[in-house]
Amino acid sequence: MSEVQRKKYTEQEKNKIFDGEFMPHIDSMYNFGYRLTFDEDDAKDLVQDTYLKAYRFINSFEQGTNAKAWLFRILKNSFINDYRKKSKQPSKVDYQEVETYYNSDDVDYSMTSDLRVDSVKDMLGDEISNALNSLAVDFRTVIILCDLEGFTYEEMAKILDIPIGTVRSRLHRARNLLKEKLRSYAQNMGYNTDEEG
Amino acid sequence: MENSLEESGERKLQCSDVSKCFQLLESILDGNDVPDSKEILKSKLAKCQPCFEHFHLEQAIKEVLRNKCTKHEVPSELVANIRQKIEEIK
Repeated sequence: MSEVQRKKYTEQEKNKIFDGEFMPHIDSMYNFGYRLTFDEDDAKDLVQDTYLKAYRFINSFEQGTNAKAWLFRILKNSFINDYRKKSKQPSKVDYQEVETYYNSDDVDYSMTSDLRVDSVKDMLGDEISNALNSLAVDFRTVIILCDLEGFTYEEMAKILDIPIGTVRSRLHRARNLLKEKLRSYAQNMGYNTDEEG
Repeated sequence: MENSLEESGERKLQCSDVSKCFQLLESILDGNDVPDSKEILKSKLAKCQPCFEHFHLEQAIKEVLRNKCTKHEVPSELVANIRQKIEEIK
């Protein structure tokens, strides 16, 4: 969020922007907050805090630009700066996962998955949701932003303050990890993942 | 890849540049502005089995994620609480 304040909106304009451009995204914001914190009360606090900040800094929002991306950026920053510190909860990270995938710019695109399209389509909501929730927060975040919320790589780069190349590689790694989780669910469901069905 | 031989028609079974192709396919699938994306997609899916399989799997996962992970109901009091707090700071 830009700290530069431009005194330009009247009270009436502020209310119009808030109601017309910010509030319509509350479902997506709450879903994002919930998937970051896994707790309804924490998600509510995070979303409420985000909307209060959005109102307070509304003069740094350019009307006509992407309000949803702007709000998501505030929520993400609040999560990192406020929520994590307050809860003193280290981010739920599988350090081995991070070590293996995170600290390298090389992305293995040759890794193929024997997960089948049919088994993915037949999966239950809980299985998909659990697989997503099991990912480390930075990987989970890129999947949420891209696949659940439909942000482009450019928008994600701005929300997360990282280069587009990093968005791309982090997303690919996240997807590989997600496929591994889904693959193990598929096997438990009795789907034969690596032979002719 | 044997399982898809029948439906693969004349698709080649090895992709000559997996990382470049998969990256491009994912960019298109993710709604990014890729020049000539329709033609690229059509051509790759028609000619290359690994590209065909990768695209369709990623597409299926994206769809189930969107359909099954975005339905958290917003607590009814949240909007009212936000509005009340805003009134307090106005």
